[in-house]
Amino acid sequence: MSRSSAEGFQPVNKDTVVSMWRERFGISEDVFKGFGFFRRGRMIWAFSLPEIPPFRCESIGMRVISMRESPWKPTTYALQLWGRHARKNVIDLNDEMARRFFAGESLELRAQVERGYVVVTHMGSVIGCGLYTPGKLISQLPRERRILDDQNAPEHHAQPGDTQQDGTE
Amino acid sequence: MPISIHSSHMASEHLERYRDIIPDFDAFLDSMSRPLPVTVRINTLKTSAPELLSRLDRAGVGYERMRWYPLGLRLDVEKPGRLMEFHMGLIHVQEEISMLPPVVLDPLPGERILDLCAAPGGKAAQMSMQMSNRGLIVANDSSSARIVPLRANLERLGAVNTIVTSYDGRRFPEYTFDRALVDAPCSSEGTARRHPGVISRCSVKRSMDLQSLQVSLLRRAIQLTKPGGVVVYSTCTFAPEENEGVVSRVLDLADVESFTVPGLRSSPGLPSWNGNDYGEELVKCRRYYPHENDTGGFFVAKLRRRLSAGE
Ligand SMILES: C[S@@+](CC[C@H](N)C(=O)[O-])C[C@H]1O[C@@H](n2cnc3c(N)ncnc32)[C@H](O)[C@@H]1O
Repeated sequence: MSRSSAEGFQPVNKDTVVSMWRERFGISEDVFKGFGFFRRGRMIWAFSLPEIPPFRCESIGMRVISMRESPWKPTTYALQLWGRHARKNVIDLNDEMARRFFAGESLELRAQVERGYVVVTHMGSVIGCGLYTPGKLISQLPRERRILDDQNAPEHHAQPGDTQQDGTE
Repeated sequence: MPISIHSSHMASEHLERYRDIIPDFDAFLDSMSRPLPVTVRINTLKTSAPELLSRLDRAGVGYERMRWYPLGLRLDVEKPGRLMEFHMGLIHVQEEISMLPPVVLDPLPGERILDLCAAPGGKAAQMSMQMSNRGLIVANDSSSARIVPLRANLERLGAVNTIVTSYDGRRFPEYTFDRALVDAPCSSEGTARRHPGVISRCSVKRSMDLQSLQVSLLRRAIQLTKPGGVVVYSTCTFAPEENEGVVSRVLDLADVESFTVPGLRSSPGLPSWNGNDYGEELVKCRRYYPHENDTGGFFVAKLRRRLSAGE
Protein backbone atom coordinates (compact mmCIF):
# COMPACT_ATOMS: atom_id res chain seq x y z
CA MET A 1 0.00 0.00 0.00
CA SER A 2 1.34 3.38 -0.86
CA ARG A 3 1.41 5.92 1.91
CA SER A 4 0.63 9.29 0.48
CA SER A 5 -0.29 12.67 1.75
CA ALA A 6 -3.42 14.61 1.00
CA GLU A 7 -1.42 16.36 -1.72
CA GLY A 8 -1.43 13.12 -3.71
CA PHE A 9 -5.14 13.74 -4.35
CA GLN A 10 -6.13 16.18 -7.10
CA PRO A 11 -9.67 17.55 -7.24
CA VAL A 12 -11.50 16.48 -10.41
CA ASN A 13 -14.28 18.27 -12.19
CA LYS A 14 -17.48 17.13 -10.53
CA ASP A 15 -19.62 17.52 -13.68
CA THR A 16 -17.46 15.02 -15.54
CA VAL A 17 -17.99 12.42 -12.85
CA VAL A 18 -21.66 13.12 -12.29
CA SER A 19 -22.41 12.97 -16.01
CA MET A 20 -20.85 9.52 -16.23
CA TRP A 21 -23.31 8.22 -13.65
CA ARG A 22 -26.19 10.00 -15.33
CA GLU A 23 -25.40 8.86 -18.86
CA ARG A 24 -24.61 5.26 -18.08
CA PHE A 25 -27.10 4.58 -15.28
CA GLY A 26 -29.57 7.46 -15.24
CA ILE A 27 -28.57 8.37 -11.69
CA SER A 28 -29.72 11.87 -10.77
CA GLU A 29 -27.08 14.43 -9.82
CA ASP A 30 -28.98 15.04 -6.56
CA VAL A 31 -27.52 11.78 -5.29
CA PHE A 32 -24.05 13.37 -5.32
CA LYS A 33 -25.03 16.58 -3.59
CA GLY A 34 -22.33 17.62 -1.16
CA PHE A 35 -19.75 15.10 -2.36
CA GLY A 36 -16.43 16.05 -3.92
CA PHE A 37 -14.34 13.91 -6.26
CA PHE A 38 -10.57 13.51 -6.24
CA ARG A 39 -8.10 11.70 -8.38
CA ARG A 40 -5.06 9.77 -7.26
CA GLY A 41 -3.25 7.54 -9.71
CA ARG A 42 -5.86 6.03 -12.00
CA MET A 43 -8.66 6.02 -9.44
CA ILE A 44 -11.36 8.55 -8.63
CA TRP A 45 -12.38 8.87 -4.99
CA ALA A 46 -15.55 10.37 -3.52
CA PHE A 47 -15.29 12.39 -0.33
CA SER A 48 -17.77 14.37 1.73
CA LEU A 49 -15.89 17.69 1.82
CA PRO A 50 -14.74 20.01 -0.96
CA GLU A 51 -11.25 20.10 0.55
CA ILE A 52 -9.11 17.43 2.11
CA PRO A 53 -8.19 18.27 5.71
CA PRO A 54 -4.49 18.80 6.37
CA PHE A 55 -3.48 15.35 7.59
CA ARG A 56 -1.10 12.69 6.35
CA CYS A 57 -3.84 10.52 4.84
CA GLU A 58 -3.73 6.79 4.17
CA SER A 59 -6.93 7.19 2.18
CA ILE A 60 -9.88 9.52 1.80
CA GLY A 61 -13.51 8.58 1.33
CA MET A 62 -14.04 5.76 -1.13
CA ARG A 63 -12.80 4.63 -4.53
CA VAL A 64 -15.69 5.03 -6.93
CA ILE A 65 -14.28 4.87 -10.47
CA SER A 66 -11.33 3.18 -12.10
CA MET A 67 -9.88 5.08 -15.05
CA ARG A 68 -7.70 2.13 -16.02
CA GLU A 69 -10.46 0.90 -18.28
CA SER A 70 -12.14 2.64 -21.15
CA PRO A 71 -14.90 3.51 -20.62
CA TRP A 72 -14.30 4.26 -16.95
CA LYS A 73 -15.41 1.48 -14.66
CA PRO A 74 -17.53 2.06 -11.55
CA THR A 75 -16.34 0.18 -8.47
CA THR A 76 -18.58 -2.42 -6.88
CA TYR A 77 -18.61 -0.36 -3.67
CA ALA A 78 -19.81 2.78 -5.44
CA LEU A 79 -22.59 0.79 -7.11
CA GLN A 80 -23.57 -0.74 -3.76
CA LEU A 81 -23.94 2.82 -2.43
CA TRP A 82 -25.55 4.59 -5.40
CA GLY A 83 -26.70 1.82 -7.75
CA ARG A 84 -30.18 1.65 -6.24
CA HIS A 85 -30.81 5.06 -7.85
CA ALA A 86 -30.01 3.68 -11.31
CA ARG A 87 -32.79 3.86 -13.91
CA LYS A 88 -31.08 1.85 -16.64
CA ASN A 89 -28.39 -0.75 -17.28
CA VAL A 90 -29.48 -2.75 -14.26
CA ILE A 91 -29.72 -6.56 -14.26
CA ASP A 92 -31.69 -8.22 -11.47
CA LEU A 93 -30.77 -11.84 -10.79
CA ASN A 94 -32.87 -14.61 -9.27
CA ASP A 95 -31.62 -16.55 -6.22
CA GLU A 96 -29.78 -19.20 -8.17
CA MET A 97 -28.06 -16.76 -10.53
CA ALA A 98 -27.16 -14.41 -7.68
CA ARG A 99 -25.45 -17.29 -5.90
CA ARG A 100 -23.47 -18.15 -9.03
CA PHE A 101 -22.58 -14.50 -9.65
CA PHE A 102 -21.28 -14.23 -6.07
CA ALA A 103 -19.18 -17.33 -6.73
CA GLY A 104 -17.49 -15.44 -9.56
CA GLU A 105 -19.11 -17.33 -12.44
CA SER A 106 -19.97 -15.74 -15.75
CA LEU A 107 -23.67 -16.11 -16.50
CA GLU A 108 -25.24 -16.81 -19.87
CA LEU A 109 -28.17 -14.46 -20.09
CA ARG A 110 -29.82 -11.87 -22.28
CA ALA A 111 -31.03 -8.60 -20.77
CA GLN A 112 -32.48 -5.32 -22.00
CA VAL A 113 -29.30 -3.37 -21.25
CA GLU A 114 -26.50 -1.78 -23.25
CA ARG A 115 -23.16 -3.49 -23.65
CA GLY A 116 -20.72 -2.46 -20.91
CA TYR A 117 -20.76 -2.07 -17.15
CA VAL A 118 -24.04 -2.77 -15.40
CA VAL A 119 -25.49 -2.66 -11.89
CA VAL A 120 -26.17 -6.23 -10.82
CA THR A 121 -28.90 -6.61 -8.21
CA HIS A 122 -30.74 -9.35 -6.35
CA MET A 123 -34.28 -8.58 -5.17
CA GLY A 124 -33.50 -4.93 -5.69
CA SER A 125 -30.40 -4.87 -3.42
CA VAL A 126 -27.16 -4.17 -5.25
CA ILE A 127 -24.57 -6.93 -5.53
CA GLY A 128 -22.05 -4.91 -7.52
CA CYS A 129 -20.51 -4.40 -10.93
CA GLY A 130 -20.92 -6.71 -13.90
CA LEU A 131 -19.74 -6.50 -17.50
CA TYR A 132 -22.46 -7.27 -20.02
CA THR A 133 -21.88 -8.38 -23.57
CA PRO A 134 -24.90 -9.70 -25.45
CA GLY A 135 -25.64 -13.13 -24.02
CA LYS A 136 -23.15 -12.93 -21.18
CA LEU A 137 -22.69 -11.28 -17.78
CA ILE A 138 -19.18 -11.35 -16.34
CA SER A 139 -18.63 -10.72 -12.64
CA GLN A 140 -16.47 -7.70 -11.77
CA LEU A 141 -16.71 -8.29 -8.03
CA PRO A 142 -13.48 -7.83 -6.14
CA ARG A 143 -12.12 -11.16 -5.01
CA GLU A 144 -12.86 -10.59 -1.36
CA ARG A 145 -16.54 -10.13 -2.21
CA ARG A 146 -16.88 -13.61 -3.66
CA ILE A 147 -18.75 -16.22 -1.67
CA LEU A 148 -17.19 -19.56 -2.37
CA ASP A 149 -18.52 -22.95 -1.38
CA ASP A 150 -16.30 -24.35 1.40
CA GLN A 151 -16.46 -27.82 -0.07
CA ASN A 152 -15.78 -27.40 -3.77
CA ALA A 153 -14.45 -23.92 -4.29
CA PRO A 154 -14.14 -23.02 -7.97
CA GLU A 155 -10.87 -21.51 -9.05
CA HIS A 156 -10.41 -17.78 -8.73
CA HIS A 157 -10.37 -15.99 -12.04
CA ALA A 158 -9.38 -12.42 -11.43
CA GLN A 159 -10.82 -10.14 -14.08
CA PRO A 160 -8.48 -7.60 -15.53
CA GLY A 161 -9.19 -4.40 -13.65
CA ASP A 162 -10.65 -6.15 -10.62
CA THR A 163 -11.01 -3.68 -7.82
CA GLN A 164 -8.29 -4.54 -5.39
CA GLN A 165 -8.64 -4.48 -1.67
CA ASP A 166 -5.23 -3.04 -0.95
CA GLY A 167 -5.69 0.19 -2.83
CA THR A 168 -2.85 -0.29 -5.30
CA GLU A 169 -3.07 2.25 -8.03
CA MET B 1 -5.99 -30.92 28.62
CA PRO B 2 -3.98 -29.73 31.62
CA ILE B 3 -3.09 -26.45 29.94
CA SER B 4 -6.64 -25.29 29.49
CA ILE B 5 -7.58 -26.33 33.03
CA HIS B 6 -4.62 -24.34 34.26
CA SER B 7 -5.45 -21.24 32.23
CA SER B 8 -9.14 -21.28 33.07
CA HIS B 9 -8.18 -21.63 36.71
CA MET B 10 -5.87 -18.63 36.36
CA ALA B 11 -8.66 -16.85 34.53
CA SER B 12 -11.19 -17.13 37.30
CA GLU B 13 -8.48 -16.31 39.83
CA HIS B 14 -7.80 -13.01 38.06
CA LEU B 15 -11.51 -12.27 37.84
CA GLU B 16 -11.86 -12.88 41.60
CA ARG B 17 -10.58 -9.36 42.17
CA TYR B 18 -13.96 -8.13 40.87
CA ARG B 19 -16.09 -10.24 43.23
CA ASP B 20 -17.00 -7.23 45.37
CA ILE B 21 -17.80 -4.83 42.55
CA ILE B 22 -19.70 -7.02 40.07
CA PRO B 23 -23.29 -7.70 41.10
CA ASP B 24 -24.40 -11.36 41.07
CA PHE B 25 -20.82 -12.50 40.63
CA ASP B 26 -21.57 -16.18 40.07
CA ALA B 27 -23.93 -15.38 37.22
CA PHE B 28 -21.14 -13.17 35.83
CA LEU B 29 -18.58 -16.02 35.93
CA ASP B 30 -21.12 -18.33 34.39
CA SER B 31 -21.87 -16.00 31.48
CA MET B 32 -18.15 -15.41 30.89
CA SER B 33 -17.77 -19.07 29.99
CA ARG B 34 -20.55 -19.03 27.39
CA PRO B 35 -20.05 -18.07 23.74
CA LEU B 36 -21.45 -14.78 22.45
CA PRO B 37 -24.56 -14.54 20.28
CA VAL B 38 -23.91 -13.60 16.63
CA THR B 39 -24.89 -9.96 16.23
CA VAL B 40 -24.96 -7.60 13.26
CA ARG B 41 -25.69 -3.94 12.64
CA ILE B 42 -27.94 -2.88 9.77
CA ASN B 43 -26.05 -0.40 7.57
CA THR B 44 -28.52 2.31 6.62
CA LEU B 45 -26.03 3.86 4.18
CA LYS B 46 -26.95 0.97 1.86
CA THR B 47 -30.30 -0.39 3.01
CA SER B 48 -33.20 0.16 5.39
CA ALA B 49 -34.33 -2.02 8.27
CA PRO B 50 -37.52 -3.15 6.44
CA GLU B 51 -35.59 -4.04 3.28
CA LEU B 52 -32.95 -5.99 5.19
CA LEU B 53 -35.46 -7.81 7.40
CA SER B 54 -37.52 -8.87 4.42
CA ARG B 55 -34.37 -10.26 2.78
CA LEU B 56 -33.61 -12.26 5.94
CA ASP B 57 -37.20 -13.49 6.12
CA ARG B 58 -37.06 -14.64 2.54
CA ALA B 59 -33.68 -16.34 3.03
CA GLY B 60 -35.04 -18.11 6.11
CA VAL B 61 -32.47 -16.54 8.44
CA GLY B 62 -33.86 -16.20 11.98
CA TYR B 63 -33.23 -12.96 13.86
CA GLU B 64 -34.16 -11.05 16.97
CA ARG B 65 -34.04 -7.26 17.19
CA MET B 66 -32.14 -5.62 20.03
CA ARG B 67 -34.39 -3.89 22.51
CA TRP B 68 -32.14 -0.88 22.97
CA TYR B 69 -30.95 -0.39 19.39
CA PRO B 70 -33.29 -0.63 16.39
CA LEU B 71 -30.43 -1.31 13.94
CA GLY B 72 -28.95 -4.17 15.97
CA LEU B 73 -29.92 -7.80 15.29
CA ARG B 74 -29.07 -11.14 16.82
CA LEU B 75 -28.82 -13.62 13.97
CA ASP B 76 -29.50 -17.29 13.94
CA VAL B 77 -26.56 -18.21 11.66
CA GLU B 78 -23.10 -19.57 12.32
CA LYS B 79 -21.20 -17.71 9.63
CA PRO B 80 -22.71 -14.28 8.98
CA GLY B 81 -19.65 -13.47 6.83
CA ARG B 82 -21.01 -15.85 4.19
CA LEU B 83 -24.35 -14.09 3.82
CA MET B 84 -24.96 -12.14 0.60
CA GLU B 85 -26.15 -9.29 2.79
CA PHE B 86 -22.69 -9.07 4.34
CA HIS B 87 -20.97 -8.85 0.96
CA MET B 88 -23.50 -6.29 -0.24
CA GLY B 89 -22.48 -4.15 2.75
CA LEU B 90 -26.05 -4.20 4.10
CA ILE B 91 -24.87 -5.53 7.47
CA HIS B 92 -21.74 -5.42 9.56
CA VAL B 93 -20.82 -8.15 12.01
CA GLN B 94 -20.34 -6.23 15.23
CA GLU B 95 -20.59 -7.24 18.87
CA GLU B 96 -23.79 -5.92 20.44
CA ILE B 97 -22.21 -3.85 23.20
CA SER B 98 -19.63 -2.35 20.84
CA MET B 99 -22.52 -0.62 19.04
CA LEU B 100 -22.99 1.48 22.18
CA PRO B 101 -20.14 4.09 22.21
CA PRO B 102 -21.22 5.73 18.92
CA VAL B 103 -24.79 5.89 20.24
CA VAL B 104 -23.54 7.73 23.34
CA LEU B 105 -21.30 10.02 21.27
CA ASP B 106 -24.21 10.78 18.91
CA PRO B 107 -22.30 12.43 16.03
CA LEU B 108 -24.49 14.61 13.80
CA PRO B 109 -24.43 15.02 10.01
CA GLY B 110 -21.95 17.72 9.05
CA GLU B 111 -19.86 17.58 12.23
CA ARG B 112 -16.12 16.86 12.43
CA ILE B 113 -15.41 13.73 14.43
CA LEU B 114 -12.17 12.18 15.63
CA ASP B 115 -12.00 8.40 16.10
CA LEU B 116 -8.55 8.20 17.66
CA CYS B 117 -8.25 4.39 17.88
CA ALA B 118 -10.38 3.28 14.96
CA ALA B 119 -9.24 -0.08 13.59
CA PRO B 120 -10.83 -2.35 12.46
CA GLY B 121 -13.52 0.28 12.01
CA GLY B 122 -16.88 -1.03 13.19
CA LYS B 123 -17.56 2.09 15.21
CA ALA B 124 -16.21 4.51 12.58
CA ALA B 125 -18.53 2.98 9.97
CA GLN B 126 -21.42 3.19 12.41
CA MET B 127 -20.73 6.89 12.93
CA SER B 128 -20.54 7.42 9.20
CA MET B 129 -24.07 6.03 9.04
CA GLN B 130 -25.26 8.18 11.96
CA MET B 131 -23.94 11.18 10.02
CA SER B 132 -25.58 10.10 6.72
CA ASN B 133 -22.13 10.27 5.12
CA ARG B 134 -21.90 14.05 5.75
CA GLY B 135 -19.18 16.00 7.54
CA LEU B 136 -15.93 14.33 8.48
CA ILE B 137 -14.69 11.37 10.46
CA VAL B 138 -10.95 11.00 10.91
CA ALA B 139 -10.46 7.28 11.51
CA ASN B 140 -7.00 7.03 13.03
CA ASP B 141 -5.03 4.00 14.19
CA SER B 142 -1.33 3.77 14.96
CA SER B 143 -1.07 0.16 13.84
CA SER B 144 -0.15 -0.02 10.16
CA ALA B 145 -1.18 -3.70 10.04
CA ARG B 146 -4.66 -2.76 11.20
CA ILE B 147 -5.06 0.04 8.64
CA VAL B 148 -5.72 -2.59 5.96
CA PRO B 149 -8.83 -4.10 7.60
CA LEU B 150 -9.91 -0.61 8.65
CA ARG B 151 -9.89 0.62 5.05
CA ALA B 152 -11.55 -2.57 3.81
CA ASN B 153 -14.42 -2.28 6.30
CA LEU B 154 -15.02 1.40 5.60
CA GLU B 155 -15.07 0.73 1.87
CA ARG B 156 -17.41 -2.27 2.07
CA LEU B 157 -19.79 -0.28 4.26
CA GLY B 158 -19.78 2.76 1.97
CA ALA B 159 -18.22 5.35 4.29
CA VAL B 160 -17.53 8.38 2.09
CA ASN B 161 -17.14 10.94 4.89
CA THR B 162 -14.05 9.27 6.31
CA ILE B 163 -10.33 9.76 6.03
CA VAL B 164 -7.92 7.21 7.41
CA THR B 165 -4.75 8.35 9.19
CA SER B 166 -2.08 6.45 11.07
CA TYR B 167 -0.65 8.71 13.75
CA ASP B 168 0.32 7.72 17.23
CA GLY B 169 -2.81 9.10 18.86
CA ARG B 170 -0.78 10.70 21.66
CA ARG B 171 0.76 12.99 19.07
CA PHE B 172 -2.19 13.53 16.75
CA PRO B 173 -1.64 16.88 14.98
CA GLU B 174 -3.48 20.05 15.97
CA TYR B 175 -7.06 20.41 14.70
CA THR B 176 -10.48 21.19 16.17
CA PHE B 177 -13.15 18.48 16.24
CA ASP B 178 -16.76 18.74 17.37
CA ARG B 179 -16.64 15.37 19.12
CA ALA B 180 -14.17 12.56 19.69
CA LEU B 181 -14.25 8.85 20.41
CA VAL B 182 -11.41 7.14 22.28
CA ASP B 183 -12.12 3.42 22.06
CA ALA B 184 -8.86 2.67 23.74
CA PRO B 185 -6.44 -0.25 23.51
CA CYS B 186 -7.04 -2.21 26.72
CA SER B 187 -6.58 -5.57 28.42
CA SER B 188 -9.83 -6.72 26.72
CA GLU B 189 -11.13 -8.82 29.62
CA GLY B 190 -14.64 -8.20 28.35
CA THR B 191 -13.93 -10.11 25.13
CA ALA B 192 -13.23 -13.40 26.94
CA ARG B 193 -16.46 -14.92 25.66
CA ARG B 194 -15.03 -14.68 22.16
CA HIS B 195 -11.31 -15.01 22.98
CA PRO B 196 -11.09 -17.23 26.06
CA GLY B 197 -7.30 -16.81 26.24
CA VAL B 198 -7.30 -13.09 27.03
CA ILE B 199 -7.78 -13.32 30.77
CA SER B 200 -4.63 -15.35 31.30
CA ARG B 201 -2.61 -12.42 29.92
CA CYS B 202 -4.19 -9.88 32.27
CA SER B 203 -2.52 -8.55 35.39
CA VAL B 204 -2.57 -5.43 37.50
CA LYS B 205 0.83 -4.50 36.12
CA ARG B 206 -0.41 -4.76 32.53
CA SER B 207 -3.43 -2.60 33.38
CA MET B 208 -1.20 0.04 34.97
CA ASP B 209 1.03 0.11 31.87
CA LEU B 210 -2.03 0.51 29.67
CA GLN B 211 -3.35 3.23 31.97
CA SER B 212 -0.58 5.66 31.12
CA LEU B 213 -1.14 5.12 27.38
CA GLN B 214 -4.90 5.48 27.81
CA VAL B 215 -4.55 8.71 29.81
CA SER B 216 -2.29 10.22 27.14
CA LEU B 217 -4.68 9.23 24.35
CA LEU B 218 -7.72 10.57 26.18
CA ARG B 219 -6.01 13.84 27.13
CA ARG B 220 -4.96 14.39 23.53
CA ALA B 221 -8.48 13.70 22.27
CA ILE B 222 -9.96 16.21 24.71
CA GLN B 223 -7.42 18.84 23.68
CA LEU B 224 -8.41 18.28 20.05
CA THR B 225 -12.12 18.74 20.79
CA LYS B 226 -13.77 22.15 20.88
CA PRO B 227 -14.67 23.57 24.30
CA GLY B 228 -18.11 22.20 25.22
CA GLY B 229 -17.67 19.25 22.84
CA VAL B 230 -18.37 15.64 23.83
CA VAL B 231 -15.65 13.01 24.16
CA VAL B 232 -16.56 9.37 24.74
CA TYR B 233 -14.00 7.09 26.35
CA SER B 234 -14.66 3.35 26.12
CA THR B 235 -12.87 0.07 26.78
CA CYS B 236 -13.81 -3.59 26.70
CA THR B 237 -12.29 -4.34 30.09
CA PHE B 238 -13.49 -4.51 33.68
CA ALA B 239 -10.21 -3.30 35.20
CA PRO B 240 -10.90 -0.05 37.13
CA GLU B 241 -7.25 0.98 36.52
CA GLU B 242 -8.08 1.28 32.80
CA ASN B 243 -11.52 2.80 33.28
CA GLU B 244 -12.36 5.06 36.23
CA GLY B 245 -8.60 5.29 36.94
CA VAL B 246 -8.13 6.87 33.49
CA VAL B 247 -11.13 9.17 33.56
CA SER B 248 -10.17 10.48 37.02
CA ARG B 249 -6.93 11.76 35.52
CA VAL B 250 -8.58 14.02 32.91
CA LEU B 251 -11.03 15.83 35.19
CA ASP B 252 -8.94 19.00 34.94
CA LEU B 253 -9.90 19.11 31.22
CA ALA B 254 -13.42 17.69 31.11
CA ASP B 255 -16.52 16.94 33.18
CA VAL B 256 -18.21 13.54 33.38
CA GLU B 257 -21.84 13.47 32.28
CA SER B 258 -24.44 10.88 33.06
CA PHE B 259 -26.40 9.18 30.27
CA THR B 260 -29.01 6.47 29.99
CA VAL B 261 -29.75 3.99 27.25
CA PRO B 262 -33.29 2.65 27.60
CA GLY B 263 -33.46 -1.12 27.28
CA LEU B 264 -29.83 -1.77 28.23
CA ARG B 265 -28.90 -2.82 31.77
CA SER B 266 -25.76 -1.38 33.34
CA SER B 267 -23.96 -0.69 36.60
CA PRO B 268 -22.57 2.65 37.80
CA GLY B 269 -18.89 3.56 37.59
CA LEU B 270 -16.76 3.15 40.72
CA PRO B 271 -16.00 6.22 42.88
CA SER B 272 -13.10 4.32 44.47
CA TRP B 273 -11.26 1.00 44.21
CA ASN B 274 -8.49 -0.70 46.15
CA GLY B 275 -7.71 2.41 48.14
CA ASN B 276 -7.76 4.76 45.13
CA ASP B 277 -10.26 7.58 45.37
CA TYR B 278 -11.45 8.33 41.85
CA GLY B 279 -14.08 10.91 42.81
CA GLU B 280 -17.83 10.83 43.30
CA GLU B 281 -18.60 11.98 39.71
CA LEU B 282 -17.18 8.70 38.41
CA VAL B 283 -20.49 6.99 39.24
CA LYS B 284 -21.81 8.74 36.11
CA CYS B 285 -19.76 6.36 33.95
CA ARG B 286 -21.47 3.10 33.02
CA ARG B 287 -20.22 -0.49 33.32
CA TYR B 288 -21.78 -3.20 31.16
CA TYR B 289 -21.31 -6.73 32.42
CA PRO B 290 -21.82 -9.83 30.23
CA HIS B 291 -24.62 -11.28 32.37
CA GLU B 292 -26.62 -8.03 32.36
CA ASN B 293 -27.46 -8.06 28.65
CA ASP B 294 -25.86 -11.31 27.36
CA THR B 295 -23.09 -9.34 25.61
CA GLY B 296 -19.37 -8.79 26.00
CA GLY B 297 -18.15 -6.50 28.78
CA PHE B 298 -17.71 -2.74 28.30
CA PHE B 299 -17.05 0.54 30.05
CA VAL B 300 -18.29 3.87 28.71
CA ALA B 301 -17.64 7.40 29.97
CA LYS B 302 -19.25 10.47 28.46
CA LEU B 303 -17.10 13.57 28.96
CA ARG B 304 -17.58 17.18 28.02
CA ARG B 305 -14.60 19.41 27.49
CA ARG B 306 -14.54 22.35 29.90
CA LEU B 307 -15.18 25.76 28.41
CA SER B 308 -11.95 27.05 29.94
CA ALA B 309 -9.73 24.03 30.15
CA GLY B 310 -6.22 24.20 31.49
CA GLU B 311 -3.93 22.20 29.22
C1 LIG C 1 -10.24 -1.48 20.97
S1 LIG C 1 -9.33 -1.27 19.49
C2 LIG C 1 -10.35 -0.16 18.57
C3 LIG C 1 -11.60 -0.78 17.95
C4 LIG C 1 -12.30 0.15 16.99
N1 LIG C 1 -12.70 1.40 17.64
C5 LIG C 1 -13.51 -0.48 16.31
O1 LIG C 1 -14.65 -0.17 16.70
O2 LIG C 1 -13.34 -1.28 15.40
C6 LIG C 1 -7.97 -0.25 19.97
C7 LIG C 1 -7.08 0.21 18.84
O3 LIG C 1 -6.14 1.15 19.34
C8 LIG C 1 -5.00 1.11 18.53
N2 LIG C 1 -3.89 1.81 19.22
C9 LIG C 1 -3.04 1.31 20.14
N3 LIG C 1 -2.17 2.28 20.53
C10 LIG C 1 -2.49 3.40 19.82
C11 LIG C 1 -1.93 4.71 19.77
N4 LIG C 1 -0.89 5.07 20.53
N5 LIG C 1 -2.51 5.61 18.93
C12 LIG C 1 -3.56 5.25 18.16
N6 LIG C 1 -4.11 4.02 18.17
C13 LIG C 1 -3.59 3.10 19.00
C14 LIG C 1 -4.81 -0.37 18.28
O4 LIG C 1 -4.05 -0.59 17.10
C15 LIG C 1 -6.24 -0.88 18.18
O5 LIG C 1 -6.62 -1.01 16.83
